Amino acid sequence: MDQPVGTVLAAADPVAAMKAMRRARRRRYVQRADVMEVLYRVYLGGLAAIFILAFLAGALREVPADPGSVESIRAHAPAVIGLAVGLLVLAGLRAGARGGPLAIEAAEVRYTLLAPVSRRAALRPAALAQLRIAVFAGAIFGAVVGNFVFRRFPGTAVEWIGSLAAFGAVVPIAVLGAALVACGRRLHIGVASAIGVLLVAWSALDLALGWTSAPTTMLGDLATLPLHHGLDAALAAAGAALALVALGVGLLGIGGLRLEAARRRAELVAEMRFSASVQDLRTVILLRRQLASELPRRRPWLRLRLRGPAANPIWRRDWQSYLRWPLVRIVRVVLIAVAAGGLAVGGFDLTPVLFALPGPLLFVAALDLIEPLAQESDHPTRRLLLPQTAAVLIRRHLWAPIATMAVVVAISAVTAAIASGNPGLALGVGAVVVLPLAAVLVCAAAVSATNDPYEFALNPQLSQVAGLGPIVATMIAGFVPLFFAWKIEGANGARVSGVLGADFVLLILAIAGVGVLNLRFDKREKEAM
Amino acid sequence: MSGNGGGAIAATGVGDGEPRRRPVAGSGGTVLSAQGLGRSYDGYIALGSFTVAVEAGEFVALIGPNGAGKTTFLNLVAGLLDPTAGRVEVAGEVPGSLAARTALSFLPDTPVFYEDLSVVEHLEYVAALHGVEDASARIDELIRRLGLDGWEDALGAELSKGMRQKVSIALALVRPFRVLLADEPLDGLDPPSREVLFAMLAETKAAGAAVVVSTHRPDVIAAADRCVAIRDGRLAYDGAPDASVLTEIFDRSELEG
Repeated sequence: MDQPVGTVLAAADPVAAMKAMRRARRRRYVQRADVMEVLYRVYLGGLAAIFILAFLAGALREVPADPGSVESIRAHAPAVIGLAVGLLVLAGLRAGARGGPLAIEAAEVRYTLLAPVSRRAALRPAALAQLRIAVFAGAIFGAVVGNFVFRRFPGTAVEWIGSLAAFGAVVPIAVLGAALVACGRRLHIGVASAIGVLLVAWSALDLALGWTSAPTTMLGDLATLPLHHGLDAALAAAGAALALVALGVGLLGIGGLRLEAARRRAELVAEMRFSASVQDLRTVILLRRQLASELPRRRPWLRLRLRGPAANPIWRRDWQSYLRWPLVRIVRVVLIAVAAGGLAVGGFDLTPVLFALPGPLLFVAALDLIEPLAQESDHPTRRLLLPQTAAVLIRRHLWAPIATMAVVVAISAVTAAIASGNPGLALGVGAVVVLPLAAVLVCAAAVSATNDPYEFALNPQLSQVAGLGPIVATMIAGFVPLFFAWKIEGANGARVSGVLGADFVLLILAIAGVGVLNLRFDKREKEAM
Repeated sequence: MSGNGGGAIAATGVGDGEPRRRPVAGSGGTVLSAQGLGRSYDGYIALGSFTVAVEAGEFVALIGPNGAGKTTFLNLVAGLLDPTAGRVEVAGEVPGSLAARTALSFLPDTPVFYEDLSVVEHLEYVAALHGVEDASARIDELIRRLGLDGWEDALGAELSKGMRQKVSIALALVRPFRVLLADEPLDGLDPPSREVLFAMLAETKAAGAAVVVSTHRPDVIAAADRCVAIRDGRLAYDGAPDASVLTEIFDRSELEG
């Protein structure tokens, strides 16, 4: 039996009433939670984490880095990391200018924010709750990376795990702080973007000149703290302090949030959460685009004039879609490609654990690329009116995304070539895997975006496997070639040719993806007939 | 425009681009005023240069066809939308200020509830947020009059459309206010409940609060002191409810929804 909330009426003032109501709701939530179910999930999650970490620790058998690599990391890593943090802060500022990062219940907007209570007091708990989760996740991730990095670089396990955990905790503080400032101060999206771009440019300048002057580069110092002493350590502390100041300013001004944006976000985020809970990635993507007001351009960047085989209607339709991409989507995909290249280099220089990240990151870009294919899946009636089978139609929709994805992977390889100081290896590995990797990423995105979240409604475990399968496939696809290249001893030529073996794995994954799509659309067509 | 002594200046009619004006009875003291209020979205004008003033104790019917801009106007006054032109004041303050939030109660067209709070818990919470004294008696009365007896412990998801609307009405009325904005409040109500709501709105008006009701219903228009009509985001009529003038502006089907 639930406890009545009731006590709110006895509250001394509106803020006390609000707090009493929230306490009562939390109590009720805990009472209703199935403790055994929660413990079981924690147990499974913990077991999986221990298994993965133990496997990686055993498989990687990391050796200490040579002095040249250590010096290179000491000199360049803070600015490179700072540039990445700068990009995250830019994303945070833009999200804040659109009313993020808070997602408030529609009823909270309707009753609490329209009541004569301090909006700062009303919104602060939601902001802190979001921050707690992000800081905790960031710290855990940082600690895990630190656990691998200390085996290769000077410094103790405690120093590396501590500094990277602190870095992992401070980055969400900086990003959420920036978002809260933009949201509460009602910054125009143009102003917020300009501030973010300036910060990124400042970080890039630090990288070019070898300075530590941007706050984001200071956070880069924090990530590599065991390699630094004296002034650099003080700068790292200053970077963390600046992030905390941004958060403080953001929390103080959060009452200025636009209700219009809050209401819109409340509706969209509620739908997104539901879609995410049933692993409906396609709906999540569409809602995220609505949230970001990311619409196709009215006028394409170029008018297509295709002749001969290139005028194939499906090929043409796919390119027409890309040519209407808004600038923000193009920039996002390019930045994803650059980040994936940077992470690959990070894997070689810091720890191969980072090889697990480029694949899922590029998968996010692939989800944008398969938009025309996903639209065919969204409209089965329209599809059924076409004079070809659904499976053939879907397969033909794969070519343009694979071609474009190959360009994205090439950008990653070029980035790695520039950042690593070993262009031969980066470009060689890139050339060997570009097409099969692009095919795996596109097939995984297509499988994911066309997944029917209710297909296995009676078997939730199977449904989760169907949802997570494509992401795991991309993780493997990104990890395997880089791991092969890292593991093979010898000159660049030997490493590149060794990676050819990874192509076999990639081809199997791509064929499996096409097979799933064939089966899925054949089945749907039969059911519709 | 603002009240001037015994009667507010009102505008009526359409045809030459300028709204027609007719005198209506007012009770003094402007509690809601909009001056050149506008809201546009990427070039689409949802509400354009809208000027209106509402006096304390007035019952105003806000009418117009679907998409005319009625809900946009109400959301702008409630502070749920930001204007792109002009200004609006509630009790002399900008929407969203503490004073405006104290003065204004909003009954939206779509009820929303906390998914884990019961009907009575919603009422208690809203009453507490607004510092209502003797809230229990007020809540009991609203539950009884709106026919919510037996549904006190129900969650929002367990309520029918009509019951949700009744709870939303109770939530708008459980707290004190000087201006009540109601967007299609009779939607989903059965005839006896409509009578109860009419009586409650009349009591609200008698107590000196201004009531602005967005509606398509002729019975609400007839009961109003004043009728403000919007068409294509523009003020088309502002004056006493006059069937002959209204039918000049709108098709009969547009008014009866």
